[in-house]
Amino acid sequence: MEKYINEVLAPKLQGDGGWVEFVSLNEGELTLRFRGECSKCLILHRCTEWIEQEIKRDLKKNVKVVAIRKRPYFQDV
Amino acid sequence: MAHIKVERRSMRPEEWTDLRFGWLKRYIYNEKWEIENLQIRDARQVKEMEFEYYSEDYRPLKKGDMYFTPDGTAFIKADVNIPDNLKGKELWFSLKTAAEICVKVNGKYIGGVDPNRERMLLSPYVDVNSTLHFDMMGYNRSKPDDERNPESLSVRGCRQIFEGAYICTINEAVQSLVYDFELLLDIAKSDLFNEDYRAFLNRELNNAMNCIDFDGDELTGVKEAKQYLEEVVFSNDTYKGTGDVALVAHSHLDIAYYWRRIHAVQKNLRTVLIQLRLMDRYPHFKYAHTQPYTYETLEKYYPDVFEELKEKVKNGQFEPVGAMYVEPDCNVPNAESLIRQCLYGQKTYERMFGKRVNNAWLPDVFGNSWILPQILKKSGVDYFVSNKMSTWNDTNRFPHNNFIWRGIDGSDVYACVPPTHFITWNMPSQIQANWEAYIDKDQGGQTLNMFGYGDGGSGCTEEMLEMMNRFEKLSVMPKCTHTSGAEFLEKNLKNNKKLQVWDGELYLEMHRGTFTTKSYIKRANRRLEEKFRTAEMLTVVRGEDKKEEITELYKKFLINQFHDILPGSHIHPVYLDAMADYEEIENALDKIIGSGSKYFNTLNFRRDALTFVENKKGTATRYGKKGNWLLPDMPALSSANLRKSGFSGNWFTVNNNKVETPFYTIVFNNDGSFASLYDKELSREWVKGDFNKLKIYVDCPGNYDAWDILPNYREKEITVNVVSPVSLVEGDGESATFGVTLGTEKSTWEMKIRFFRRGRGIEVENNVNWNEKHKLAKAEFNCNILTRKALCDTSAGFIERETHRNTTWQQARFETCHHKWCDMSESGGGIALINDGKYGVGFLDNSMSLSLLRATERPDVTSDIGEHSFCYMLVPHENDAVNAGINRLALQYNTPLVKADCEWKLPTFEPLYLQAIKKSEDGKMTVIRLCEQDGKRGKIKLAEKVKLLNMLEDVEGEADTIEYKPFEIITIGI
Repeated sequence: MEKYINEVLAPKLQGDGGWVEFVSLNEGELTLRFRGECSKCLILHRCTEWIEQEIKRDLKKNVKVVAIRKRPYFQDV
Repeated sequence: MAHIKVERRSMRPEEWTDLRFGWLKRYIYNEKWEIENLQIRDARQVKEMEFEYYSEDYRPLKKGDMYFTPDGTAFIKADVNIPDNLKGKELWFSLKTAAEICVKVNGKYIGGVDPNRERMLLSPYVDVNSTLHFDMMGYNRSKPDDERNPESLSVRGCRQIFEGAYICTINEAVQSLVYDFELLLDIAKSDLFNEDYRAFLNRELNNAMNCIDFDGDELTGVKEAKQYLEEVVFSNDTYKGTGDVALVAHSHLDIAYYWRRIHAVQKNLRTVLIQLRLMDRYPHFKYAHTQPYTYETLEKYYPDVFEELKEKVKNGQFEPVGAMYVEPDCNVPNAESLIRQCLYGQKTYERMFGKRVNNAWLPDVFGNSWILPQILKKSGVDYFVSNKMSTWNDTNRFPHNNFIWRGIDGSDVYACVPPTHFITWNMPSQIQANWEAYIDKDQGGQTLNMFGYGDGGSGCTEEMLEMMNRFEKLSVMPKCTHTSGAEFLEKNLKNNKKLQVWDGELYLEMHRGTFTTKSYIKRANRRLEEKFRTAEMLTVVRGEDKKEEITELYKKFLINQFHDILPGSHIHPVYLDAMADYEEIENALDKIIGSGSKYFNTLNFRRDALTFVENKKGTATRYGKKGNWLLPDMPALSSANLRKSGFSGNWFTVNNNKVETPFYTIVFNNDGSFASLYDKELSREWVKGDFNKLKIYVDCPGNYDAWDILPNYREKEITVNVVSPVSLVEGDGESATFGVTLGTEKSTWEMKIRFFRRGRGIEVENNVNWNEKHKLAKAEFNCNILTRKALCDTSAGFIERETHRNTTWQQARFETCHHKWCDMSESGGGIALINDGKYGVGFLDNSMSLSLLRATERPDVTSDIGEHSFCYMLVPHENDAVNAGINRLALQYNTPLVKADCEWKLPTFEPLYLQAIKKSEDGKMTVIRLCEQDGKRGKIKLAEKVKLLNMLEDVEGEADTIEYKPFEIITIGI
């Protein structure tokens, strides 16, 4: 899962000015850290739903993404 | 007495007008017919014109569906038969979207929609009686084209909800009235306009709205409202505006920024396409488009649209501007790179349109080197346009908008630094702000106001042109003239005797971090600039025909000098692209350079400085590789076999932290900084304070993270610990290396300080595992020197910079850009600091501080994290920097010896620097570029006559004597 996040999904989010990092996977709960543009995205939930769909399609696993936003210091208000 | 603020809670009349304005906009569309058979295929672009698809085939796309993916491109199609009731009417295609969509119908590109425009005209370009096959390519950005446009900002995000696509007709009367209100409401809300006029507007706009009945089954009163505005508002000429503003349409297109270069191909297509369609509808509309590289991509991938563009160039509506191949950073590239930007840019325009342009159009670059005016002038460029110094300076108001810019060699170009931002949307308040900010009202003629959305292209909208068409009806507005870029420049600057002169660099008082951010990119740029020189030289000397290959490599290299690539202000994938390009270019150049049996001195002066030559059996180490320090002593452009000296005597001693060399007595502190550097030859101490001291500061510049270093960066310094104190790690007959390991909580910093038996230079090699966030690392040198100025290499001469902080102008220049060296000297001696790829430097009183690394997180959260290796060399010297030959030392330091079997048969052209030697673009001459870099005047007598050329390689004369003046760049052909 970590490899998939880092090698398949992360470059796509990076291409959009975003950033995603694997944090943990516990019993179907996938915790991801979002940085860059993702960290302040108003509709991040749409992206996390897409991530769940991609994982289901490619890895055949059902996960629920828990998003941690790590905003840059100058936007962390 | 307590103060009670009175708040009005009931609706103000202006709010009532605004509310009804929103209602009015709902009636713009007369009829909307939904296209219900759309299909979509999601993809991601991986190369220019290459896509990876998420599915084998298309899926249906319905209103309310989610579409687009992160960094996604989507292909959308539908076969549409126009309903009979719409035939015969002017039809539009409407799709409200956050994406950037190019629309093709029946194989022909018709137009585009994006966050700045939701509809495009259809009917003149299609036959509504036949089936219309729609093919759309959309690219979605989380960061919209323009964050200044609130509507665009509101729809950001990588996953979008599809709001439907429609064939529609427009209620022209409502649309026209909407434009009227939009124009007048902007004035009413702007405190830049006369207060009484705004009160008048607020009253009369309310009255005009009162003409409309929003409650009936049908909207009525539109005609009456329009008439009311014409008779009461537009006819009013009681309130007189002043000013004379030239409106130039353009679109700023960052080739890479929050998107990769591969995406700029479609961004450019969409931008061009939309402007072409506006030209069809508005025959008076003129639009300026820059960067020949973008024209090349259009020509290559979208030849039909390019042919249309050529027609609009012919009729004068589409204006190619900007002589440079891309809009490069104008601080870090060296002189030859900037010349090539002009050469390849102008040649491209010449090939495409049969003409060159006489302007440089660089609205967004982060300051401009003093070497530019000469390069521009000799590249057929009389006019220079760049915005940022006026709108972004953080300390001083730049004192000119229209002026003459005098370069380092005394060359003059006409310059325009427009008073306001290069991205505006033609609103009256923006134009008024431009006029009010314009400094040269008395002598500069018109002020330049650029309009059009940008950063990611997009350009002008119908709305902007409709606004412009109404300006002359408003007495309160400045006089506005829509004009081309060239017309504006010729009309107002050419032969204008009143223009003031700015003699110096155009330093931007912002974005000072871009000299340092993304260390690898800067270093690769420096290294490859030298390799291009060597490769071109060797092909000419060996009589090889590699011009085509080298030109292609050069162009790829120049693209990466774009002002959001080389400065480091981009997302991570842009960095990866740049590094991949550099690797490809370097491999190709290495192959061209090849090898040989002897070493060849590519410099056109005697090579007399110690040089490290790799050798597996060597007794010294540099950058982890074995080799030897050799003293080549090679005449200009000559070949030789080099051998190690064989000296094995004891030439240095170490006693605790005290080191004796033939030149110096050094006392180290444990952290590798120098407590003392006593010069035995010159009998003087060089150290006065921290010297070769690594300092790491907290570097939190805010939103412009990758761009800026703030003036207060020294306020907070973090502790650098000594992990392993300074000690001797290696010594042979030529060099002695002392190592120290420093560390922070997260990073390790290994410094190797190298002294030489036969050289005054002291090299410091740095190998860093950098894992910081928001830090700026500097090497600081407090010198025992009394001076008020420092010299900085510009790559084509040196610039003097004051080291005091007397005025705000010096205070603002706390961090500046230099090239290979900087120097602080008294008349009897000084210290030069030579680098192999660092550009940021600060001076204060007796100190120099070389910026080494930053750690920013916007736009790239991992910027500069990782392993770094770089060197700098201190050179204490007698005399000043020029007489001490520092420039030649720095050239040697940055020019590795190469092995090549070749013989130089041309003059050496000393004392000028042989900046480049290449095959001419027409293949008929050898072109030689010479640069005076010491600020001296003189003559070189040649045995034969040579052609005197400009930088575009036009023959301008013949001579057998080259007369040169300080800092002149001379191009000759043989």
